[in-house]
Amino acid sequence: MSEGTPDVREARRMLSKGIAIAGVGETEQGKLDGKGSFQLLAEVTKTTLDDAGVTLDEVDGMVTAFSFVESTLMHSTTLCDYLGWAPGYFSSVAVGGATAPLMAVQAMHAIDAGLATAVLCVRGDNTRSGISSSGMMAMAREMSHGAFEAPYGLSTIGGYGLLAQRYMYEHDVSGEALAAVVATQSEHAAKKWNAMLRDVVTIEDVMNDRMIATPFHGMDCSLVSDGAAAFLVTTAERAKDMKTKPVYIAGVGEGYSHQYISQADSVDSVRQGLGRAGRRAMEVAGITPQDLDVAEIYDSFSFTPLIALEGFGICGPGEAGDWVMEGNGKIDGGTLPMNTHGGLIRQAHLGAMHHIVEAALQLRGEADDTGVNDGGNRQVPDAKFAISNGSGGILAATSALVLSSEPPSAS
Amino acid sequence: MSDEKPAYTKPLPDRRPEGDRFWEAAKEHKFLLPVDESGTPFWYPRALSPRTLQPVDYIEATGTGTVYTYSIHYFGPTKAYKGEPPYAVALVDLDEGVRVMTNLVKDEPGYPTLDPEDVEIGMKVRVVFHDVTDEISLPKFTPV
Repeated sequence: MSEGTPDVREARRMLSKGIAIAGVGETEQGKLDGKGSFQLLAEVTKTTLDDAGVTLDEVDGMVTAFSFVESTLMHSTTLCDYLGWAPGYFSSVAVGGATAPLMAVQAMHAIDAGLATAVLCVRGDNTRSGISSSGMMAMAREMSHGAFEAPYGLSTIGGYGLLAQRYMYEHDVSGEALAAVVATQSEHAAKKWNAMLRDVVTIEDVMNDRMIATPFHGMDCSLVSDGAAAFLVTTAERAKDMKTKPVYIAGVGEGYSHQYISQADSVDSVRQGLGRAGRRAMEVAGITPQDLDVAEIYDSFSFTPLIALEGFGICGPGEAGDWVMEGNGKIDGGTLPMNTHGGLIRQAHLGAMHHIVEAALQLRGEADDTGVNDGGNRQVPDAKFAISNGSGGILAATSALVLSSEPPSAS
Repeated sequence: MSDEKPAYTKPLPDRRPEGDRFWEAAKEHKFLLPVDESGTPFWYPRALSPRTLQPVDYIEATGTGTVYTYSIHYFGPTKAYKGEPPYAVALVDLDEGVRVMTNLVKDEPGYPTLDPEDVEIGMKVRVVFHDVTDEISLPKFTPV
């Protein structure tokens, strides 16, 4: 392992103590009429504690995110109130799609600082059935600069479209390459018990779907869903006494290149900016892309994982489309199975929460839903290292985790 | 024939004092670019120059540039776009070296959107000002 810069050495020091994810949980996903945001959060709290084999009293910290439906400036303690629980540490994270890995990072810091020893990271919302049309418009407008972008009618989809079309132009990438991401993930979602879209689609199906904003057809876009997911971050020491096989945080990283899309310098500056998150997470973990067994890569649109695969150094610039077309991302026969749960495009949209849950399940060897709601076996054999990331805004802010099936080696 | 324009229902720019110089000039159909103390243009207008945090000055742009990228929107972000033909949102690199968001339009009354098949990356464009309300003229771009 290279010695690394001082910040990398410090991250390794912290993680060498053993920071574990010792429980995960997820609710049904889709249109869950009548279930409120906090009900979903409470239900998944129960599922996650049961998975770890602990009670609420044995958890002493909580990190939540935000809601598109329930307006509260005190999200974490509002949930504490609902649960009738007063943990010693509470906080919320709001960095759009980068939120989930940052929740894990915040839990890690709380543990390192001695503020808590077991931190529940929980996110959920009834976005699909609960959001108002003004809430939807506010969400779209947040992606644009209010004075100098919003007046031109930029949609969130089109904002990604601007970058995707330039990427396709520079690297001569076809719409079929984007569609191949959807087709690949549809095969995986077919086996996931709570995926919203369970049918397997082809590249042709995607290309024939109606255009929303070039280059994206309807099926290239992520879903809007109700649902919740959670994971429990704790010390390796405490994880020993819990029910579930823990997985370990081996590396963390963040990267940023712009907030508003007009401020992005170039396709490559975006690739390098978001790519830093994954590259740094791997550097801290002391691994290279060749060591990865599973990649749960944020997929707000079919294009999104392509530029991340390149930014992380898994593929060369402009090569991710061919990489996916060749089947490298498939569970069946792929070199690095990606979005093995179906991702935001086929399972559900809860930021990167499900990407972390699925990475943990893969490393536990439990990514098998055979017998559960017509699910199937998604398990990647002998998975030891997984990368998982989330991106907020229009590929603006990215956070990534490398998870390992084994505790850090004493060094 | 009535002189009254139909009410404009699409998103209008958030107005803040730091954008006043730009929008006041736009009303006169001039495209002002903010510059830092070394005279280097930046985008978007704001109270302090990015990085140096020094005061901002303005220069008038030539109003010509090149399409960096675009996305044809078949659905807009608000109800006001319902029933509209697909429209082009683009990023244009101005000759002064800054990149701005805009719509690509025909140089005809009301500045209708360019047809999707007429839009391509690298095309040369020039600014036109679309007077959408009495107060707001939006700079849009049309092929040279």
